[in-house]
Amino acid sequence: MASNHSATEKSPKRHKVEGPKKHIIAFIFSVLLTFIAFATVISGEINKDFIYIILMGLAVLQVFVQMAFWMHMKDRGHTFAIMGILTGVFIVFTCVIMAEYWAWW
Amino acid sequence: MSAHSHVEGQLPHEPEKATLEGRNKVLGFWLFLGGETVLFGTLFSAFLALRHQVLDGPHADELFKLPIVALATALLLTSSLTSVFAIHAMHVNKVKALISWLIVTVILGAGFLGLEIYEFYHYVHEGHGFTTSAFSSSFYTLVGFHGAHVAFGITWITLLILQLARKGLTVVTAPKVYVAGMYWHFIDVVWVFIFTVVYLMGKVV
Repeated sequence: MASNHSATEKSPKRHKVEGPKKHIIAFIFSVLLTFIAFATVISGEINKDFIYIILMGLAVLQVFVQMAFWMHMKDRGHTFAIMGILTGVFIVFTCVIMAEYWAWW
Repeated sequence: MSAHSHVEGQLPHEPEKATLEGRNKVLGFWLFLGGETVLFGTLFSAFLALRHQVLDGPHADELFKLPIVALATALLLTSSLTSVFAIHAMHVNKVKALISWLIVTVILGAGFLGLEIYEFYHYVHEGHGFTTSAFSSSFYTLVGFHGAHVAFGITWITLLILQLARKGLTVVTAPKVYVAGMYWHFIDVVWVFIFTVVYLMGKVV
């Protein structure tokens, strides 16, 4: 018991504590995706519907990156979290489709 | 210092999940975030349905200034990174680094909030009041709700910093910090959709 305790004490970093490296990569990704989104709109001259699709794609991708890395959703034991958020997203999706395509029919 | 922490028992790896209470807190917070997703989703859908109903007020593309939005985005995105650094400092049991990163996060969040207040003030002077049109009402409700979340997050994390300074990092304070970090990331995630749907799509005519 005592030796067990000192063993964990001696090397507390032996547990895989993730370095901040992955988070910096996620940050660079987020900055890049944000930059592309702004640049697409500022440059203009592209078909409106096409821009909408690009922008939504970039946003979804960025949120995916941030949730996976920064909110630790890629880690083990996040099944419940993923289910909770997906339930929310499903309801949101229904609302958005309703508002965008049905409200002004 | 080290003798003291030895008496208390060493802080376990991932202290936020060391106790049942901590685990329940994280789990409950995910439920809360699911509810928050729905809250913002309904505000987004209201905005999407009403964003072209401008009456006599200004249109989105003549109102919005992208540079200020880009600056706000940069501030909030960086604050999300500093809060993840704070959680990392917590996981390697460095209380001072944890508190410092949280302070940086709060400052960046306050900068974001200041920009948003300036932006709203500017819009109202351009004739874009809360009751000007369905577009302006849904805009202020959606973006204002997000701003209120930022304001709440700043207050919350500030109080956590004070508590950390007094009580240090324990299995009781660690879940609070972790959950506040998740909240802050969620705010940033919502902002990603706000700058995309409200500002960038508003600029595309």
